[in-house]
Amino acid sequence: MADDVKTKEKTESLESLRKADDNLRLPTVPERTLFPKEIGIAPAREQTPAVGQRATRPDGRMHGLGQTKYIDDMFFPGMLHAKIKRACISHAKIKSIDVSEAEKMPGVMATLIGKEIPVNSFGPSYQDQPLLADDIVRHAGDGVAAVAAVTEQQALDALEKIKIVYEELTPVYDPMEAMKDDAVKIHNGESNVYSSKTIIKGDVEQGFKDSDFIFEKTFTTQMVEHVPMEPHASIAEWDANGRVTLHTSLGRITLGRADVSRTLDLPINRIRMIATVVGGNFGGKNEITTEPILALLSKKTGRPVKCVFTREDEFISSTTRHPFVMEYKTGMSKEGKIMARKVRLVCDGGAYCSWSETTLGKACILSAGPYNIDNLHVDAYAVYTNKTMTGAMRGFGAPQVCFAYESHMDDMAKELGIEPLEIRFMNAFNEGSTSPTGQLLEAVVVTDSLKMASERFGWKEWQK
Amino acid sequence: MKHRGKGIGCMWYPIGFTVLANPSAATVKINEDGTATLLTGTVETGQGSLTVLGQIAAEALGVSTDDVHVVSGDTDTTPMDTGAIASRTTYVSGNAIKLAAENARQILFEVAAPMLDVRPDQLEAVDRKIQVKYFPQRCLPIADVALQAQFVMGRPPIGSASYNPPTVGMDPETGQGKPFSTYVYATQCAEIEVDDETGEVEVIYMSAAHDCGTAINPMLVEGQIEGGISMGIGYALQEEMLFDDDGKQINPNLTNYIMPTSLDMPKIDVDIVENFDPTGPFGAKGVGEPTAVPTAAAICNAIHDAVGVRITSLPATAEKVLKAIKELRDGGEQKALPAAE
Repeated sequence: MADDVKTKEKTESLESLRKADDNLRLPTVPERTLFPKEIGIAPAREQTPAVGQRATRPDGRMHGLGQTKYIDDMFFPGMLHAKIKRACISHAKIKSIDVSEAEKMPGVMATLIGKEIPVNSFGPSYQDQPLLADDIVRHAGDGVAAVAAVTEQQALDALEKIKIVYEELTPVYDPMEAMKDDAVKIHNGESNVYSSKTIIKGDVEQGFKDSDFIFEKTFTTQMVEHVPMEPHASIAEWDANGRVTLHTSLGRITLGRADVSRTLDLPINRIRMIATVVGGNFGGKNEITTEPILALLSKKTGRPVKCVFTREDEFISSTTRHPFVMEYKTGMSKEGKIMARKVRLVCDGGAYCSWSETTLGKACILSAGPYNIDNLHVDAYAVYTNKTMTGAMRGFGAPQVCFAYESHMDDMAKELGIEPLEIRFMNAFNEGSTSPTGQLLEAVVVTDSLKMASERFGWKEWQK
Repeated sequence: MKHRGKGIGCMWYPIGFTVLANPSAATVKINEDGTATLLTGTVETGQGSLTVLGQIAAEALGVSTDDVHVVSGDTDTTPMDTGAIASRTTYVSGNAIKLAAENARQILFEVAAPMLDVRPDQLEAVDRKIQVKYFPQRCLPIADVALQAQFVMGRPPIGSASYNPPTVGMDPETGQGKPFSTYVYATQCAEIEVDDETGEVEVIYMSAAHDCGTAINPMLVEGQIEGGISMGIGYALQEEMLFDDDGKQINPNLTNYIMPTSLDMPKIDVDIVENFDPTGPFGAKGVGEPTAVPTAAAICNAIHDAVGVRITSLPATAEKVLKAIKELRDGGEQKALPAAE
């Protein structure tokens, strides 16, 4: 009886210990896994020719056995944990940052603010984004300071002690408002419109004159997150030769290395970037986030430093998909041929450019749809707002414009009394069609895909 | 009452960066037993790209997928690569890998030619053999040739190459130019059910026919398409980041930011449209991003077919659909729905 109680107590204390371990993110010893003695290889992996084989993935076995090492599974001796303090205010001038109290907190080994970063800006198109805001905060998820401590909890506690004095600035959230001349300028320029694109093909006004019907509609889309299973994560280790090794969840390490080189003002050959198996990207891991910050914290402390974003960090501080406002005007012949189309796209670019310029360009080109349109005019604008920055996400503007041009197509088909599938066949690109930018297209299979998907669906026979 | 509807979404999508250079480089090392190692600077982000890239190298060398080990994602050891972005991996990295493998293979051909008493350009690499074209009886195991190359001739069969898609800059006034090397095309059809008392939309079935040029690995293409549809369903019906009046997010968590789970997934039939792009590696293009593009359009067109309301602002949440149904009933004419705050 007494032994039972003891055992129970022991189990409970072990459990609470394990919980404590979890909270502190200390290494837990993984359960022993017995590997199969003979590795079975799927036949498709051993067959030639290799192309066309339904070959299984070599990483599948590792995933299945829980053996894949993501950043969060990696530990180095003496490794510290970093946390980033977020502004939680969407537009403000930073008057002062005081980290002295935070540095006195237990376990804290170093802090970092934006002014300590050699070149505190980055971005794939324009370098308009600070790693840690040092002067102006432009969205609530902006990082303003970082702390490295022995445990994650200690780092979190220390964030509370950082004192920042802000002078609030007028924010602007709506891209249509932000476009106006009298709107608050988020980046001190003449306008919040930081990129614009135009495509002109044929004569759109003449096309409208030649049309039998004109249709107009405005479509809007929302901001969404990539939500990868693995959030952004990195470990930096600065060594005695002044060389830094970064284990990172980035999807494009060569360019990431160049960004780190620029921000740290360090030659490229003194940076090593190792990408682990990334637990989902979808466009969200195409640029650096905390890597230079961790490198500097590692330099300060002489220890490896790790930072794994929480889900909240992921939402508020990483890139997202652009909300779009899309105005479509299309001229149709009564037979159902698209005669002319005019499109105006406004993309809510958030606080920083990131990949917005590229997204805008792709959206602009794709906005006419996979259809032959002789007379086309597209204008597109990317606008700064005081919201989470928008960047690359699976589709680069295409899901937005596809929603618009395909909804618009069905509305027009209905008005003209033409079957939705039919109107698409009538207008679809064919081999040798010319794209909105004048490019001759080859290996074009729009009609084949329409045919296959609709036949598989049973489109013609389908009844409500 | 529940109403069923069908909808269609058709799209086109480019491969690679818009105009800008986005090169990939690769190195292929044939080992002395005829297996090989591929070095690539791209990163596996869960889509299975390393398997596909290994298959491309294997195809060029005439060996199997399992004969090629892929090393990736380390700037100290792997060559330059623009990375896992813009649906470019299979096409751009794949082209670089094919060229690199062909360069390594050329050394095998040069070593094997005197052994087989023919010229190097008469040789091909098929089924783990170096054989004479149109006279396959005369052949050598690739392992024998690789061993001969490395240890007798002193020529380790290693090849490197790079590839960058050819583009033409766009005119700043008119946008005319050739921004991309190639495009892919796809159609998705959705069958949905709308509850007119709650506005809730359930996706019942989707068919998807995607062009990706040659499907290097049809299983991974299907995986991409199913994954893309799940993302498209979230985009169409559920997902939305919301902000308060002070610009702070009010749902930065997975409790209040609703995404589709396995329970929300419909039955999906995937077809790969047969196509061959002469500019791609073995005719391949790409498939990553396009899979998530037409889903929302197909679903919203199906909502329109089911209950006659046009959703002009994503996502088509139950609240928005219900409001639109009520407006349609009350006024006959549907008013434009305001964007959600």
